[in-house]
Amino acid sequence: MSGHLVSPNLFELTRILMDGILRILSDAIKALAPVGSPVEPLRGLGDAILTPWLVDLLSWLVAITIMVTWVAAILLLTFMWIERKTYSRLQDRYGIMLSVWSLPFWPFSWLARRRHKPTHKGLGWLQNVADGVKLVQKENITPAKADSAMFHTAPVLIASSTVLIFAALPFSEGFVIADVPLSLLFILAAFSLAPLGILIAGWSSNNKYSLIGGMRAAAQLMAYEIPLLLAVIAIIFYSGTLNVIGIVKGQEVPLAYLGPIAIPAWNILSIPQFLGFVVFFVAIIAEMERIPFDIPEAEAELVEGWVTEYSGMRFGLVFGFKWLRAIAGSALVVILYFGGWSGPVWVTLTPTVGATVIPIPIVPHEVWFLLKVFVVFLVFVWISWSVPRVRIDQILNIGWKRLIPLSLLALILAALFVLFAPLPGGIR
Amino acid sequence: MVDWQLTAFLVLSVLEIGASIMVVTSKKLVHAAFWLAMTLVTIGGIYLVLLSEFVFLIQILVYAGAVPVLFVFGIMLTRRKIMEEVTVPEEGAEALPGPGEESRP
Repeated sequence: MSGHLVSPNLFELTRILMDGILRILSDAIKALAPVGSPVEPLRGLGDAILTPWLVDLLSWLVAITIMVTWVAAILLLTFMWIERKTYSRLQDRYGIMLSVWSLPFWPFSWLARRRHKPTHKGLGWLQNVADGVKLVQKENITPAKADSAMFHTAPVLIASSTVLIFAALPFSEGFVIADVPLSLLFILAAFSLAPLGILIAGWSSNNKYSLIGGMRAAAQLMAYEIPLLLAVIAIIFYSGTLNVIGIVKGQEVPLAYLGPIAIPAWNILSIPQFLGFVVFFVAIIAEMERIPFDIPEAEAELVEGWVTEYSGMRFGLVFGFKWLRAIAGSALVVILYFGGWSGPVWVTLTPTVGATVIPIPIVPHEVWFLLKVFVVFLVFVWISWSVPRVRIDQILNIGWKRLIPLSLLALILAALFVLFAPLPGGIR
Repeated sequence: MVDWQLTAFLVLSVLEIGASIMVVTSKKLVHAAFWLAMTLVTIGGIYLVLLSEFVFLIQILVYAGAVPVLFVFGIMLTRRKIMEEVTVPEEGAEALPGPGEESRP
């Protein structure tokens, strides 16, 4: 088994760091205010900043900041970059493919394809930062007859409920803010808060396109939540826990051996869970409002759906939240069906330093997890830019008439397989 | 020493009672539905104060995510006038029918 980098977990790591920084700060204050000097009362401050609850509070804040920066800045930009690059390759859009100009310095400029041209330098990763800066500069316009309070609440509600997902979504055993016992339920609950915000946004804009888009989005998101949850219940039959880390641990055992190579017992390799995977995959595409199911913002008929009236950075918030949901959705697919962060390289070097054994991960869990998440997201991008959009009645028919019976079938099969556990031939 | 559990309970109760009063007094039905969502979320918060996380999460999943949305659907599909109408007088041209005006007798 390879180990994980953030060990034992994010909070403990930041607490050690914070403790060290505050100790140095405390010593510095005490050195600057020696006993007998006029600033001697400052020594009390030096002791006060070492109070345990203050250190805990600061470490929590730093851990949350690290997670939010990681997800909402680095991963979000990377996902947007992957999507833009991939669809421009798929649809032969020349502009984004080549002339995105950013990072005009060494490793990136060297990697660029047409590096001899000044406008073709870099990989284009910072193009989205430029777009964000452009959005910040724009005016925030409120429509004249809009319900102002709700119009301004909706983006906050949508964005905050989406960021809330990442309070419990782990990137490895340690790289997680809060490892709560019911974390899978927490993630799904935070995932399901968006329809309310979308409906608020659509209604309060006082625009018929926004209203239609908002109602379509809410109908679609609510319809596809049911097969999503049923597929997840089939997973819970197998794992017996609602903790995401526990679900991944259940998949880390070897299923069979092909000579020396161990096949991990990923959930997708069992018959009922494969059905559940098909349902979950389609449902999560609909939950992300990606293209086969992006009828809420069908730009050919509804301008931009429920985001039509938003401008400036509010538009950036409600637009970027889709990629945040895409990150969460891809991560959920990987965690539930593809064995999470367990990689194929089952090696850890453990040198002994003094009396403690320190595991050195050859390829850390975080890297495996990110690789799998990127591959799943690439499949999402591939699907969304290759197929046409389906109508709203077709979407609801697929959801209610096809996916729900299929997920119920997966549920019943999973229950039967768990009931008659050791099937002949190791079929699961 | 402050009893944090009691404080959280009191704050959540005040929010919940205020929101539920807003549900029955607000003039716009859509507003009432969204105040209802606030009421249900604060009830979920009280479950969390009582240390029952599972009921809290199910409350958020079912009652905050789905029930107010269903209410709003009902309102939007049954009432004709749900948006503020902005009438711009057009010169020399017949005004186009607004949303829902075709079904007017």
